[in-house]
Amino acid sequence: MKPDLIILHEYCVKVNIEPSFVLLLNEEGLIEILIIDNMEYLPLSQLKELEKYTRMYYDLAINMEGIDVIHHLLDRIKGMQAEINHLKKKLRLYEPE
Amino acid sequence: MDFIDYYNVLGIDKNASQADIKKAYKKLARKYHPDLNPDDDSAHQKFQQINEANEVLSDPEKRKKYDQYGENWKHADAYESQRQQYQGSSQGGYDFGDSGDFWSYSGGGDFSDFFESMFGSARSGRSSRGNYGFRGQDYTSELHLTLTEAAKTHKQVISVNSKNLRITVPAGVANGQTIKLAGQGGPGSNGGPNGDLYITFVISEDSRFNRIGNDLYATIPLDLYTAVLGGEQIVETLHGKVKLKIKAGTQNNSKARLKGKGFPVYKKEGQHGDLIITYSITIPSHLTEKQKELFKEIQSLS
Repeated sequence: MKPDLIILHEYCVKVNIEPSFVLLLNEEGLIEILIIDNMEYLPLSQLKELEKYTRMYYDLAINMEGIDVIHHLLDRIKGMQAEINHLKKKLRLYEPE
Repeated sequence: MDFIDYYNVLGIDKNASQADIKKAYKKLARKYHPDLNPDDDSAHQKFQQINEANEVLSDPEKRKKYDQYGENWKHADAYESQRQQYQGSSQGGYDFGDSGDFWSYSGGGDFSDFFESMFGSARSGRSSRGNYGFRGQDYTSELHLTLTEAAKTHKQVISVNSKNLRITVPAGVANGQTIKLAGQGGPGSNGGPNGDLYITFVISEDSRFNRIGNDLYATIPLDLYTAVLGGEQIVETLHGKVKLKIKAGTQNNSKARLKGKGFPVYKKEGQHGDLIITYSITIPSHLTEKQKELFKEIQSLS
């Protein structure tokens, strides 16, 4: 195994998921798979995201389209939350608690 | 330690079938799952309760014990000893077998004291995908700093799972900001990597400054005479005191921006935000007769 890369097939066998599921996530742009010498590798940096999507798909029975929508909505929520926090801090200047 | 009504947690009645339990659990899990509610502690707690309720009610053995004792759960110890005698086993823990396709969330957190007291610490850990682990668990920790500490790059020692870690805190970290220490979480299994350690900075409020991004805001009192006639005022900044020139006719709530006297910009050495001063003009309230006369004279001239 190359450093920071996990052989995708081996990983899928170990955690009991379908490689096709991971490849579909890659196609949707939700994670990034590397192909080196016709071998598929999962960068270590992608593992946490993959685990999250695996839970959504296998545990919560959310399909790929649903995962994609959730991904975008969570991004928006994150941005809005940051904006709310910023505005709350600004408001505190005018209306101290 | 209080009794927990697991039926109530899942919103089902006591005669609910296994299918009803599974349906209720799935619906609530989708609503409160930590992956769908990041940074929401109340959702995480709710998810733990749902998991716990499911752990008990989806397991016929546990459900039977729970139903039998209910609110009299404190007497369940007698049941336990009888059960162990019957099984001829003195080992702790249960063998729940793999009786279904219910899923469990790894990292769902500890179960309640009520659960531990009634069922021990054993958990089935059942999962539709089997019990394989790979990547280790992520750990989270909080590091509390004062505003002054957060303004300086410095080293801190934090203790996580009885391991001391020396970390460098870069100047300019924000309240609520999280940094990741890769590989410092729980150990992986099956050849998987360690989890990560996430440290969230909690920066306490400062009585002198409000911080918004890289800018600092401070309100300083200014006496009426300096505001009217102009003069000088000593102002405290994060890096020491500075002398400001006050223009004659400075209005109440007017602001002055001190470029580069704000908070250090995270990971941009030498860059700072601004300090915005708001003048709060103090009106004298206890005037002597002489002062009153003089104010009246000014009034008549205006």
